[in-house]
Amino acid sequence: MSSLEELSRRHEDQAGLAESDTVPRGAPILELRGLQKKYGLVEALKPVTVSFLAGEIHAIVGENGAGKSTLIKLLTGVIRRTAGEVFWCGKPVQLATPTEAISRGINAVHQEVVLCPHLSVAANMFLGDEMNRNGLMRKAAMEKAAQAVLDDLGFHLPAGARLESLTIGQQQLVATAKAAMRGIRFIIFDEPTAYLTRQESAQLFRLIRRLRDQGVTVVYISHRMEEVFELADRVSVLRDGTHVGTRLIGETNENELIALMINRSIEQIYHKEQVPAGDVIVETKGLSGPGFEDVSLTVRAGEIVGLYGLIGAGRSEFALGLYGRQPVTAGEIFWEGRKVSIPNERVAMALGIALAPESRRDQGLCLNLPIGLNINLPVLKRLSSGLTIRRGDAARNAERQIADLRIKTPSRHVLASAMSGGNQQKIVIGKWLSHGARLFIFDEPTVGVDVGTKAEIYRLFGELLKQGAGIILISSYLPEVYELADRLHVFRGGRLVASHDHRAATHEDVLTQAIGS
Amino acid sequence: MSVETTTESAPAPRKGTNILLGLTLLGLLLALWVALGFATNAFWSPNNISNLLRQGAMTAILAVGQTFVIITAGIDLSVGAIVGFTSVIVAWLLQAGVPLWASIILTLLIGVAIGAFHGFGIVRMGLPPFIITLATLTSLRGIGLLITNGSTISISHEGFTNFSRADFLGIPSLFWMVILVGIPAFIFLHLSRFGRYLFAVGSNKEAARLSGVNVDRTIYLAYILSATCAAFVGLLLASRIGIGNATQAEGWELQAIASSVIGGTSLFGAVGSVHGPLLGAFILATINNGANLLNVNSFWQRIITGLLIIIIVYFDQLRRRGSR
Repeated sequence: MSSLEELSRRHEDQAGLAESDTVPRGAPILELRGLQKKYGLVEALKPVTVSFLAGEIHAIVGENGAGKSTLIKLLTGVIRRTAGEVFWCGKPVQLATPTEAISRGINAVHQEVVLCPHLSVAANMFLGDEMNRNGLMRKAAMEKAAQAVLDDLGFHLPAGARLESLTIGQQQLVATAKAAMRGIRFIIFDEPTAYLTRQESAQLFRLIRRLRDQGVTVVYISHRMEEVFELADRVSVLRDGTHVGTRLIGETNENELIALMINRSIEQIYHKEQVPAGDVIVETKGLSGPGFEDVSLTVRAGEIVGLYGLIGAGRSEFALGLYGRQPVTAGEIFWEGRKVSIPNERVAMALGIALAPESRRDQGLCLNLPIGLNINLPVLKRLSSGLTIRRGDAARNAERQIADLRIKTPSRHVLASAMSGGNQQKIVIGKWLSHGARLFIFDEPTVGVDVGTKAEIYRLFGELLKQGAGIILISSYLPEVYELADRLHVFRGGRLVASHDHRAATHEDVLTQAIGS
Repeated sequence: MSVETTTESAPAPRKGTNILLGLTLLGLLLALWVALGFATNAFWSPNNISNLLRQGAMTAILAVGQTFVIITAGIDLSVGAIVGFTSVIVAWLLQAGVPLWASIILTLLIGVAIGAFHGFGIVRMGLPPFIITLATLTSLRGIGLLITNGSTISISHEGFTNFSRADFLGIPSLFWMVILVGIPAFIFLHLSRFGRYLFAVGSNKEAARLSGVNVDRTIYLAYILSATCAAFVGLLLASRIGIGNATQAEGWELQAIASSVIGGTSLFGAVGSVHGPLLGAFILATINNGANLLNVNSFWQRIITGLLIIIIVYFDQLRRRGSR
């Protein structure tokens, strides 16, 4: 018996999961019949009837706001349903509290890691379920067990390390290992690969398949179609809170799923505006700084320059260096032909550089402040006369961005934290549209964003190009940079290792250059 | 499509809740006054009301400065010590024959310098606000005691000491000082971009920085304003008691923080107002005043204050959660 199974058995024994609560592989383990959720008069989820089978990987796709998160919250007991019935192993259940969901073996791994950064990996994995002897924690035993599980899963992670010393992707793997250890019957992954590198995703996929082979039901929520086709056995599509269909993966294709989700074809998503390249906006020569070395590249007006690479390859670091957030240690920057030094962000903004950073939560938004304030933050100086802000102008500016970008909110006073991922990204973009710039740097602009919003963001790129701006597009999602960039630079280990014109190289070549094998 | 965003988690707009909290606090204050009016005849006597306004005024000004700092997700523990220290400074300057106007300006400048030192410690040395202001709290008391050699300096300047006893339009001059500080503070925090920057820095420093906000300068500004408010209160206190004494205003930093928190300021930053802490300060002053009039043991006053903090912040939490 592997160490993972051993531990999950231990947890099941403690939780007292009854043997009768099992169903044979392929039989429905969780059935939703007319499950519905209303907030006031609004239906967040229209009656949904769907069964999840024991031992299947069931993907759920849909745009932001389609009802996916509502469904997860219902299944994990975070919110209570308005109507409908839920059957667990054939018996009706309440599923009214998170504790009830967990005790039945329903667990979720969330997109954002919710662990304690200051504790060790092992301590996090055993958090709330520590091994004790005579009231004292068995630290060494837990670390050994955690390491055994990590090794068993093929994650090359040290159980004794502090969690915060790991990358976000590695932390996500720890969260997954923790959930897998808890003897689950039913596990929900909510966009788990959003912050993972390719190798980390591959490790995660191996774990998911292994869980399925052990008879666990996996619900897999993702925006990435290629993952759905790689992993899932069946896929359900949600649109506007309605369950529009469930397909066997072998009987459908990407185009059909996208059509179900948004009624739009894939060509229309990666719509590339053809704008003739103009003057050089910025040129770097041998630029070096923390995390990047000897980067030389050029961005012209009307051009998208793509930076592709794995997370940590130095792309974001290069962007932060160019933006003045990180010190540049060597090399030169030429702005419109003139040599400049950019010691801080305010100088960069004054030149005409805008940066929509990688992490909305950590760098992009003041989450507990209103949307309007977030949008106006870079331009408050322009919106002030003397000491005070012209409130009318500030309101108009915010309302204009909300309307132009179709940010779905009842009011500009709503806090940014209340928005979905796609709408939050629009707020970040709105900040910089109202500020205006000649060079826009978009760092992972479509992470955690649904297909419809992606298409809107790409269309916006076209608008910016037509107005004479240049764009640096940083992405770990190859199809995105591949289809959109006029020139594609590949980063590895902090260096620019290869450059290609639009669609000049194959996906495989670019990948090989990024991974370096 | 907009189902989730419009209904699921949209909290009530901030603007509305701010006003609501203000009205609740005002209602509480008025209710206390009415209740005390019934409980004791002495409460509504002109003497007592003047006294109450004077008592509350100094905490109120401290609380406003403290609020700026707390909004940036910081804390200023030194304000009580600054009050004591600057009372010594102004007494010392006046007794040394420095003209009144120069003494006042020099004392305020010392407040600015202390605030700038806090900013320096936080921004340049990377110290937590709690630590750097705790360090000044104890050292300033020490420096003040060194200057006075452990005793007090009496102020013989009549004009200076008369000020705190004076009335203008029937209202104590000390209360006018609250208005003098409160109106610019309101404009600064709620109507100017620098106020917005305080909120942005308190909410997410990195996002503020990448949006072109000068985060370092904003932090300096918050601590300088807090220390200057405290130096100003030091002047008022010296005027009121007629002496400079480094051990005065013991524990006032906690009064200021309590007033700010009762007034709806979040210790996690990015939530706060000017009117909230002002009302909070006068609620605390009313409770102390009422307890004195009703001959409640002064030990009980401390307990009541503690309970009040728990109750008000708890209700505020409930309200926030309810709006989610």
